[in-house]
Parts: sequence; structure tokens; C-alpha cells
Amino acid sequence: MTVTRRELLKGAALAGAAAALPAGLPGPATAQTTQKRELVVAQGGDIAHLDPHMSTSSNDIRISYNIFDNLTSRRPDGKLAPGLASEWKLQGQQAWAFKLRSGVKWHNGDPFTAADAKFSLERTYDPAAKTRVNTVFTTIERIEAPDPTTLIVHTKKPDPLLPARLGFYGGQIVPKKYLEAVGQEKFNQAPVGTGPVRFVSWTKDDKVVLDANADYWGGKPDFDRLIVRALPEMAPRVAALLKGEVDIATQLPPDQGERVKANASTTVAGALYGGLYVLAVNSKVKPLDNPLVKQALSLAIDRDVIIKELWRGRGVAPSGPIARGDNHFDPSLPPLAYNPKEARELLKKAGYKNEEIVIETTAGYMAGDKPMAEAVQAMWKDAGINGKVEIVEYSVRAQKNRDKSFKGLWWSDPTSTLRDPDGMMWRLLGPGGPQDYWRHAEWDELGNAARFSVDEKFRGEAYKKMTKIFLEHFPWIPVIQPYEDYGLQKYVEWNPDPLQQLEIRRFNFKFRRA
Amino acid sequence: MAFSIPASASADQAIATASARAGRRARRARRLTAAGVGFVLFLALVAAAAPWLAPHDPTRQSLRARLVAPTWEAADGRAHVLGTDHLGRDVLSRMIVGSRVSLLVGFAAVLVGGLIGSALGLVAGFRGGWFDTAIMTVADAQLAFPFILLAIGIIAVLGPSFSTLIVVIGLSGWVSYARILRSQVLGLRSREFVDAIHALGGSVLRIIGKHVLPNVLSSLVVIATLELARAIVLEATLSFLGLGIQPPTPSWGGMVQEGREYLDSAWWIATFPGLLLMATSVVVSRTGDWLRDLLDPTLRGE
Amino acid sequence: MRTFLVFLASRAGRAVVALWLVSTVVFVVMRLSGDPTPLLLPPDAPRSEIFRLRTELGLDRPLPVQYAVFMGNLLRGDFGQSIRFKGPAIGVVVERLPATLELGLTSFGLAVLIAVPIGLLSAVYRNSPLDHAAMGVALIGQSAPTFFIGILFILVVSVKLGLLPTSGRGDWRNLLLPAVTLGLFGMASVARLTRSAVLEVLRADYIRTARAKGLAETLVIAKHTFKNAAIPIVTITGLQFGSLLAGAVVTETVFAWPGIGRLAIQAIYNRDYPVVQCVVLLSAALFVVVNLAIDAIYGLLDPRIRVR
Repeated sequence: MTVTRRELLKGAALAGAAAALPAGLPGPATAQTTQKRELVVAQGGDIAHLDPHMSTSSNDIRISYNIFDNLTSRRPDGKLAPGLASEWKLQGQQAWAFKLRSGVKWHNGDPFTAADAKFSLERTYDPAAKTRVNTVFTTIERIEAPDPTTLIVHTKKPDPLLPARLGFYGGQIVPKKYLEAVGQEKFNQAPVGTGPVRFVSWTKDDKVVLDANADYWGGKPDFDRLIVRALPEMAPRVAALLKGEVDIATQLPPDQGERVKANASTTVAGALYGGLYVLAVNSKVKPLDNPLVKQALSLAIDRDVIIKELWRGRGVAPSGPIARGDNHFDPSLPPLAYNPKEARELLKKAGYKNEEIVIETTAGYMAGDKPMAEAVQAMWKDAGINGKVEIVEYSVRAQKNRDKSFKGLWWSDPTSTLRDPDGMMWRLLGPGGPQDYWRHAEWDELGNAARFSVDEKFRGEAYKKMTKIFLEHFPWIPVIQPYEDYGLQKYVEWNPDPLQQLEIRRFNFKFRRA
Repeated sequence: MAFSIPASASADQAIATASARAGRRARRARRLTAAGVGFVLFLALVAAAAPWLAPHDPTRQSLRARLVAPTWEAADGRAHVLGTDHLGRDVLSRMIVGSRVSLLVGFAAVLVGGLIGSALGLVAGFRGGWFDTAIMTVADAQLAFPFILLAIGIIAVLGPSFSTLIVVIGLSGWVSYARILRSQVLGLRSREFVDAIHALGGSVLRIIGKHVLPNVLSSLVVIATLELARAIVLEATLSFLGLGIQPPTPSWGGMVQEGREYLDSAWWIATFPGLLLMATSVVVSRTGDWLRDLLDPTLRGE
Repeated sequence: MRTFLVFLASRAGRAVVALWLVSTVVFVVMRLSGDPTPLLLPPDAPRSEIFRLRTELGLDRPLPVQYAVFMGNLLRGDFGQSIRFKGPAIGVVVERLPATLELGLTSFGLAVLIAVPIGLLSAVYRNSPLDHAAMGVALIGQSAPTFFIGILFILVVSVKLGLLPTSGRGDWRNLLLPAVTLGLFGMASVARLTRSAVLEVLRADYIRTARAKGLAETLVIAKHTFKNAAIPIVTITGLQFGSLLAGAVVTETVFAWPGIGRLAIQAIYNRDYPVVQCVVLLSAALFVVVNLAIDAIYGLLDPRIRVR
């Protein structure tokens, strides 16, 4: 099972790379080179925190993943690789033992030890630290650090995904001695990590400046300085790329891809997003409590046209709740069907009386959210569904998310944080989860059993059954698994990451030099 | 003083030519004002007849025909004179139907602001005392408040909708009306005849109708035109900040906002409604200037 | 002098009350607009977490109590702690103030240095091609949405012509486009007002007399006109300066300029109440102070105004 998944991932990554780099790119005549020692990245918003445990936003993560290291490292190819831990293994059912690297130094010269790792993980759920990642490691019971290079984590129940959890947010390792000496506030202003770049300065709403860590255990990155600029408006961000002011621009909309490719010095690189774009459903309101209506809503969406036209082919149609590239993704399932005629029949059978069905969408929070909502509404109209689009501000969406007060459907971009269904559909749709609007006894039982089983075969069967139930009830209506596209200067050799990290370590980033 | 005679003769001459010039100016101002009012009336007619004028359904999408260039740029764009937008909707039709929102928001906002402002200005002027001070202090506060931020806050509370937009934009403009009416009333009150009318039992409404309004009408109309132009631009700015009218209803500001991401590749989406918006705003505020020339002879000739 | 001081004192009193009104309105509107806590926690945070954070931020208390605390702190010059940045709100704002001042003063300078001469020339050579061109540009400047002009500038001047950087803060080249964009509306207003103020003075009797006396045209303009047209010009430029902060909101967003306008918008979207309150009050205070100064200058120049 794992082998086939990895094969598949490799295939996906290759496909992504092929799409990104037009055939025959490094031909000697077209190869572009640079003498730059400074890497400039433009992203859509400023960071809010440097303390990695204070944020889960992708703008912050792009920086905190490079100032800090995790024990395990999720690579752009989807694999879990060693980080500060060089190896790990399960001891019995409920303990994981990690062997940590020796000789690693913090940016201020202090040595890194198992005590730092223990302190970091415990800090995430320490009420006094008030972190914003306090729910990431809820399966941990206690942590031992018997010697400087050994860490043993005991879990409350068997937790097959602990190494994966350590690779995502919350898992960044912070320095015990420094943090305790300077306090949380100072640490947030002047963070010290073990990562490939060290913090230099942060000009709010403008840029973060970081210097290469020459002593990095993974090798000094291929630049002397990294500057991450905040350019919120898309047009200026693309303009800055075209003019050569930035080397990498994030969040490149599909419609801009051709423009960037047509430019002599720039190109596009994309990674298939590690997650899905779905219309989440409040299954508690009428008529969305009726599974037939939700099946009709899904059947009335022409995903091919959305992907081919609106996304210019930069995406794939989902087949269910599990993202392509995740554990237990079933490649034999067909993509979700489009059949407006069948949708009409289902609606008739369900007794749908033209009730208004509201999509609450943000405008620009998620790529293509508003135009996709409008397109879906028009497709629904053609199938006899009375849809309505309402635009809500991001903070209103967050509020509704908390109060569970959505009127009907809303956009959600569930990230597969662990590259496993547990870190996506079960985390969000499970009982008590943030999108708990629908319950199904058998589904709940399967999800719970799969979370605490270390038997991958059993888990695979469980997720298969859960997918089947899902496709009957549609607590989400998956619409697209898009590519996350980036604009690059052609002299940049870099692979984008499916989980929106900015991996600039030596193995993944290089300036093409003359 | 030998030079005084030719000097005065030339002065007479100058006065004669000046009055002839003033006459020409007045005619010109009248013509221009008529043209400006005509343009606005034309837009209003277009807005009223929009459903019949629009060649396509403005909300009808065609994802397979999105970002189609205007007729003269694309061989296959014949069906869409001004091209299609990012969802394949006809830009011309959206502009025609969008004139409804832009004009309605503009006029309604001017009405709201004008009524509130005039009423408060009159009350402040007649009542005087602490009432006057209170209203003028509120006006100070309003002017000092960075308006865009207030608008964002209010829309965040009420949710973006047609009526919210009208209220927000209307409220932003009441101060000018209030100030002009207040100073007019204060000017009148300092004259004895008002007190005389009062003493004779004449009602306040009569004073307003006979002595205040005729004097301020021209100023009010001029302010209203400037406010109308401002309201139309403001609707666009609020759309830019994501606080405009809800889809799929088109508005000029909303079209500019949606098209701004395509200025580089599909320039027609934002450019045409943008030009129309600017043209309307220019004509309306220019009409205000001409109107002032026409109504206020002392300023004639500017 | 005494009446002048009384006049000034009453104006100052009104200004203080206006500022109090502004602070109350911003307090109420922000509190009604929603709760910041859902934005601070991950979506899967349990309810107890949300309550803990609300208590920590003091948002669980009744609104009147929050208001009293807010006002009390304000009187001591304390704007509270930024919810998003976890530091004093005033610090967050002051950190970005230089960027906005740099932008604002430049665009103000452009408005005065370019718009006043243009208005003057337009008046002197009225109905000339120069006059028509200048006033045409001014009209467009007053009628075009700022964001539209800004994006057009970036596409034409930066990308197509490659003359200036697209965005961000740096040396004078970075400054030029946003400053012109921000100053355009002000420039247009100042140019048009200068023109009409000068025209009005040129028509006045004493100018005619001066001309009749045979004084050279330039001398007439220099000596009389500018002195008399100065008051309305000072007023409008003062007003423009006072409202620069408000105008910076859109310009800073388009050009990724790290100033307080952009901060304010993000703070509203993040429901970072203390930061919003701080920006709004600073901006309002600037406006009020500038206007007070203008009033004072008026009062000194023209004693008749004091009666009003």
C-alpha cells in the first residue's frame, strides 16, 4: 500500500514538474543564470508572528519553517524525511522513540539537545504558554528525554501518525534556554532557531530579512540572504515578478500563468495542493439535511468546465473526501460525476420546493473562491436549484465557523496536515470538529477506530468504507484539488510544496549560475 | 490728469466688451449645463430601459467563452461588442445594467445626505445655542473620522447590501449641506426682518420657504452634483475593498474591481466600466460648475 | 487679542468633544463588528479555549465596563494591547508612522509645489490650451478611483515602460508612484481652487486699478493676487493634509506601502480593536489640530471671522 502511494506521489510530483517547466527548458540557448546571492520572495500578506507556536497561517509558516526545524520533515515530494530526529521507531503500541542529531547548534551558539525538543512539544499544550497550536499534540501523554540525543514520546492511545504530526505546524522546535531567558515577547521579536536561515529584521507590512545559516546541519542554503516581501495585491505582485524585482512569487492565479510564461525570464511552477477545495455543507438546515438534495448539488456541478476554463487546467477533479497524494487515496474511484438530468430527478424525489440555497463565499481568501461560487450558482440554476451567493469578509467567516452559523454552504480548503485522512476529513468532520454538522454512527465509529490503529491495512479498509458513506451524504461537496502555482525567475531551481511551505533548504533550492 | 480721459474711455470700452463676453459666457454655461444634464438624463434612461437595451443577460455565464476580446480585437468576438469577463458574461450588458446600481446608489446617497444635512443645518441655524454647537461638533467629528475606515466598520456590522451602501455613502456627505444651510440661516437671522416676521406670527416654515431656500438652492444643487460624482467613485472604492454590491448584480465599481486583476491580460473588463465611471463623474461635477456659473452671476466667467 | 483667545478656546473645546465622539463611535462600531477570538485560534480550538482567550482580552465583560476601561486608559494615553501583535497598540502604529508620513508629506509637497503654480498659470492664461489641459487632467484626477489610477500607474510606468519599481518602500524611486497616486486627488483640488481664487482676485477692483495704473502684469500678480488668494489656498491645502491619512488606506494597499493606512484595514479585518482605535484617533487628532491651526491663522488674519 505504502509503496504504491509513494510511486503515485512521485508520478504526481513529476507531472507537476513537467507542467511547470516547459519541455526542453535547460537547453543551453534558453538557460538563464544569475550571480545573485540574495533570494527575494513575494507573498500575499505580511507575517503576524515569528514565534512558530503562535500561528497556523501559511504566510507565517513559510518563514517559521525555515528559521526552525521540526523533528521530522515533510518534503515537497510528500515523503516524511528526517529533521532534527535522524530516525524513529515505535516501541510497543504507545511509545515512539526518536534519535536526535548531535552537534546541532542554535543560531546563538547554544547546543541543541533532547531537552529542547521535550520543552517545545510540552510548550504547545502548556496553558501558561497560551500557544495557538495547543490542539496539535493532544494524543501525547508524557515525554521523556533520558539523554541529549534520545526522546521518548508516550501517547494516550496508539498513535500511528505521531511522526507526521511532528512534521507540521506546532512541531517546530524552539530553544529552551534562550526562550526561558528572554521571555515569550522578546522571543517573538528576535527568534532563535536551528534552521537554514537566521532572523535579521522584520519591517511590518513590508519585509522580513533573514541571513543564511552557514553552519546549518543540512548545508548552507544557496544564497546569503533571504528577503520575504508582503505584496497583498495580485497585480503588483505579478508585476514585481515580471520586472525581476522578486525571484519567487506565491499564489499565482491560473489566469496569470500564461502571462508569466510568455515573459522571457519567468516561468511557473506548481504543486498539487495537499488538500481539497470543498463546499462545506451545514447539513442541519433544510433542505440540506436531505442526502438526496446534497447528491443533486454535487451532480449539478460541472467540475470539468470549472477546472478546464476557470482554472485553465491547473487542478484535478476530486473523487471523494481524500486528496490525491494522501495515504489511502483510492485511484480506482472515478471523479465526481456531472449529470444535471439526474440531479433534477433526485431533487424531485427529495421533494425540493425551490428553497433558497446560500453559498457564503469570501472574496480572495481562497484562490478563485468568488468566481467559483458564482459559476456553481449558475450551474445550479441550470439544474433547477435556487442558489444564492453572499460575500462575507474573512473575519465574519471565522466567526460563523466558530458559532457554526453558516446559512448553507461555504468554501473550505481543508489541508491534509498529515497527508492522511485522519489529518483532514476526520480532523474537520469528526465529532466535535470544527465542521461537525452531520453525524452518522457507522462513519464515526470507523473514523475513531482508524485514528487509533497502527494497522495500516485495517485503516485502509476503514477509510474505504467511510468514503462510500461520504459519497451518499456529502458533508462536503468537493469541487477541485488545485495546483498551488508560483511564479519564478527562470534562474531559480526550486520545487513548490503541496502544503504551502517554502522549502529553501539546500536539497530543494538553487540559483542557476553561469 | 490729461491721461485720465483716454483711460476712462478704454475702461468704458472694457466694460462694454466685458459685458458682451459675459453674455457669451452665460450662453455657453447654459449650453454646457444643458449638455451635462442631458448626459445624466440619457444615463438615467439607459438605466431605466436596461433590461431591453442589454444585448445579453448580464448574469448569464459562459465559462467556455470567458475573457473574449472586444469585437475589433478578436475574430470570434462578434457576439460581444466589448468582450466578456472572467466568467464569460457580456461586458456591455453588464455596463448597461450596472448603470442602475451606480446611479441609484449615487442619487439615493445624495438624497439621504442632502435631506439629513439640510434638516440638521436648518435646525442648527434656527435653534442656535447648544443645539447648534452639538450639531456642528458632530460635523467636526464626522470630518475628522477617516471615512473609509468608518465605512468598512459600518459595513462589517450591517453586512454589505444595497441599502447599507446608500446609508454609508449618504451619511458621508451630509456635512456640506448642513454647513451651507446653517450659515444662510444665521445670515438671515442677523437681519431684523426675520424677527419682524416672527413677531407678526409668521411660521418658521414660511421663512424657510420664502427666504432661506431660494437663496441656497443654487449652492445646494452645486453641492449635490459634486456629491453625486463623489458617491459614484466611492461605490467603486468600496467595491475595491470588497464591500460593494453583492453578486451577481453588476455595478461599474464592482466591474472595475473584478477586472483589476486582468488589466494586463484582459484589459477590457475593467477599462470600459472604468472609463464610463470616470466620464460620468467628470460630467456630473463639471455640470455642477457650469450650473454655478449659470446661477451665480458674480462668479461668471471662470 | 482677548476675543481671539476666547474664539480659540471655544474652537479647541469643540475639537476635544469631537475627538471624544470619534473615539466613542470607533469603540462602538468595532465592538459591534464582531469578535477577534475566532481569528486568533486554529479552527479546531475547543470552546474552553475561546472563553479563556475572551477573558484574557477582557471581552467577556459588559460593554459599558469595557467602554469605561477604554476611556480611562485613553485619558492616560494608553491605547491598549494589540490583539494580533501582542504588544502596545501605540507601538504597532508608531512603528509604521514614518512610512505614512514620508508618503503623505511627499504627496502634500507635490500638491503644493506642482498644483499651486499650475492653478496660478491656468488663471493668468485662462482659456489657453495650457489652462484647458491642466484643468482636464485635474478633473480626471478628482474623478478617477484611486485604486484604478494606482494599478494603471504600476502597469504603464513600471511594467510597460520599466521606469520605476512596482511597489514596496525604498528610495525615492519607490516613493514617486504612490505619492503621485495619493496626491492626485489633492493636487486636482488644489489646482482648481487656486485657479478660481486667483481669478476672483484678478477681477477685483484693486487689481483693475493697479492695471489701470499701468503696473506690469507680472508685478500685479505677484504683489496683489497671491497675497489675497493665499487664504483659500492655505485652507484647502490644510484640509488636504489633514485627510491624507484617510486617503493613504487605498494607496498603501495597492503599492504594498508599509504604513498605517494598510495597518488600519488589516486591523479592522482582524478585529484588532486597540490598533483600529489608535489609528483612527491619531488620524482624527491630526485633522483636528491642522484645522485648529488654520482657524487660528484665520482669526489672526481676519478679525471678522471670529464673530462667526
